[in-house]
Amino acid sequence: MLRYFFKRLMFLIPVLFGVSILIFSIVHLAPGDPAEVMLGPAATQEDIANLREQLGLTKPLYVQYGIFLGNALKGDLGRSIKSNAPVMEEIMERFPATLTLALLGMTFAIVIGLPLGIIAALKQNTWVDALCSFLALVGFSIPNFWIALMLMLLLSIYIPILPSSGFDSWKNLIMPTIVLGIQTMAVIARMTRSSMLEVIRQDYVRTAKAKGISDRLVLTRHILSNVMIPVVTIAGLYFGHQLGGVVITETVFSIPGLGRLIVDAIRAQDYPVVQGGVLFFALCVGIVNLLVDLLYAVLDPRIKAQYRAAK
Amino acid sequence: MKKFRLIALALLAVAALALPAAAAELRIAQVADISSLDPHKVSDIYSANVIRQIYSNLVQVDEHMEIVPDLAESWENPDNLTWIFHLRKGVTFHNGDPLTAAAVKFSLERIKDPATASPGATHLREVASVEAIDEHTLKIVTKRPFAPMLMSLTRYETSIVSERAVKEAGADYGSKAAVGTGPFKFMSWSRGDKVTLEKFDGYFRGPASLDTVVYRGIPEDATRLVELESGGVELIPGNFPYQDFVTIEESGKFLTYQTPAMSTLYMGLNTEIKPFDNKLVRRAMNYAVDKQAIVDAIYFGFGAPARGPLSPVIWGFDPKREPAYPYNPEKARELLKEAGFPDGFDMTIFSDNRTERRSAAELIQAYLSEVDIRAQVELMEWSALLSTSAKGIGGAFMLGWTGTGDADGGMTPVYHTANIGSSNRFRYSIPALDALLEKGAATLDQTERRKIYAEAQQLAVDECPLVFMISQELLGASSKKVQGFKLYPNMISPLYGVTVAK
Repeated sequence: MLRYFFKRLMFLIPVLFGVSILIFSIVHLAPGDPAEVMLGPAATQEDIANLREQLGLTKPLYVQYGIFLGNALKGDLGRSIKSNAPVMEEIMERFPATLTLALLGMTFAIVIGLPLGIIAALKQNTWVDALCSFLALVGFSIPNFWIALMLMLLLSIYIPILPSSGFDSWKNLIMPTIVLGIQTMAVIARMTRSSMLEVIRQDYVRTAKAKGISDRLVLTRHILSNVMIPVVTIAGLYFGHQLGGVVITETVFSIPGLGRLIVDAIRAQDYPVVQGGVLFFALCVGIVNLLVDLLYAVLDPRIKAQYRAAK
Repeated sequence: MKKFRLIALALLAVAALALPAAAAELRIAQVADISSLDPHKVSDIYSANVIRQIYSNLVQVDEHMEIVPDLAESWENPDNLTWIFHLRKGVTFHNGDPLTAAAVKFSLERIKDPATASPGATHLREVASVEAIDEHTLKIVTKRPFAPMLMSLTRYETSIVSERAVKEAGADYGSKAAVGTGPFKFMSWSRGDKVTLEKFDGYFRGPASLDTVVYRGIPEDATRLVELESGGVELIPGNFPYQDFVTIEESGKFLTYQTPAMSTLYMGLNTEIKPFDNKLVRRAMNYAVDKQAIVDAIYFGFGAPARGPLSPVIWGFDPKREPAYPYNPEKARELLKEAGFPDGFDMTIFSDNRTERRSAAELIQAYLSEVDIRAQVELMEWSALLSTSAKGIGGAFMLGWTGTGDADGGMTPVYHTANIGSSNRFRYSIPALDALLEKGAATLDQTERRKIYAEAQQLAVDECPLVFMISQELLGASSKKVQGFKLYPNMISPLYGVTVAK
């Protein structure tokens, strides 16, 4: 198991290496450069040339990439062009907000989505099922910036109980959590419902029921443990999706997170921050995927057995 | 029961005494968080606004963009190359260091040093030397007679920083330390979120009435508005969404602010390509576009058709000017016929992706089609638009110009032949205009200067290497608790003198 974990961890290295080449080329081959953005329309060619020189942008691209990679391996992602602060420091300052949001959003999605799916499946084809499915559909189809604005209008202006932006207290987190989690919630609810319906009809469930095991025990031991595998897969996939979606949520609620950092950096063509930020995101997604794979083993004895056999 | 009430009252009284008076705090919503508080390293307006509260300059502008004393009490020109500044005595930095001529010299030389790579270096490009004559007298010598010198020294990029603080903080200056002589001192910065300032008791004009100031970066228009309405912030200084201004004004619940902006929006033409080399064609295009209609459509009426190359709040603007080329499609068609294009021609308008610019380009496209000019709109990345247009773009381009606040900064970069290849994006040389602009920069007599620039503005309008578009307007709003706030045309409004009712 541990060996498998390390083997998978090693796989992350070529992935990150690939991402670094990709993001480096995209950022540097895109038109324009940070010196022009910083100096604005009044800049003279000499000013631009001087700033480029200072920023190390006059060296050939492969040299710049070599320097970037060499420093990145030492954990140094360079300094932001815009603020001159170390990129690692900026990322670390912003990451907690994003991670908190993503975790809360996921918790919200699971805590609401899972029961919704279970209830819908158990009450299949009744009005309860219809209501749950309707909620899931609404949650999935409404754009989240619109939900954000409506929530703000409702909870900050009409019934002023929550602050509409910032990141000062737990109150700031309620609306962003809902906005970020609602789509995943809908997907989880639908996924749970359909795989529940599949499992309910299995022979072993019928057998368990025939043996006289209580409904609750059948549900938790026989049904849910089998439903969890696809649900965990979806949740894992959507965690990466949420890290991306965090950009909108962070912008609307002006939360100082990683998503906004990268978007702002792209606008300013702040190369080091874009490169560092994207690399960091890739690392996060890679780790989450790894954790999901490990979770399978915990949930499914068959997969665990495979790991053992692979030894 | 009565006894209980008495005790309760007594307790309340004690509590009231024990609590300090509520601090006067002003929370401000800007569009973005600051990037740094090192005035010599930044070029964005949101950082500039905070920098303005922390630092002082040798001279400043008031809300009418007139030059007023700041750290320099007075100044004189012994000859037309030399500027002598007499500094205020008893001024100290937030770290206790005294303000001396040597400190000013350090700041100005730091800006000029190529190693600093300061975006503001361009404002001091005419400075040959800076010299501290004594503790409170500073001498600046320029390379040529340079009248816009004072305006350059009012810029936030030429703020005076503490030498000791810069050296102590090293690369962290601007993010972990920022020390000036202004009314507020830097307290903390939570990156991407907000920066907090506190009043500096030793400010040379006396302490400010606000105790703390918080600048927050809120990128969404709607969120900024909700924050103002729900009391999360008290002030939105500029960047108020045009579409919501009237609603807010009519609600009567807020104070609103409105001022002409320093910036103008125009559509530049690369005069090196056909048919923009033809003055008649350029004039026809100017007549073909209904600028007022575009102001109404994009800026909800906030703004005005441009009256020439300069905004009315720029020093040197000729107040006798009328809107350049009022809408007249018949005249446009006549001119096109005269120029040899009775059936119009094809062209491309380049713009970046900002909604306002893009919409303006699309409306221009529609107006041009009325006179049979078939224009295509093509979008580009902002920095790509800047560099491509500097090198000569394949058509017309949407751009704004803010300048320095002085007619020289408003015209020389854009029109002077020497700037072809960089900021003269029309790539058009008008020798007579070059001569006027040079004479304007070299004339220290302000009345004489105004006359020169009036002539220059008319010449630029006659030659029109661009389609004159719109003088923009700045909008702001605040809670009624805020008193004494003035919205400055350069969008950098000082908070000294502002009060917040408790």
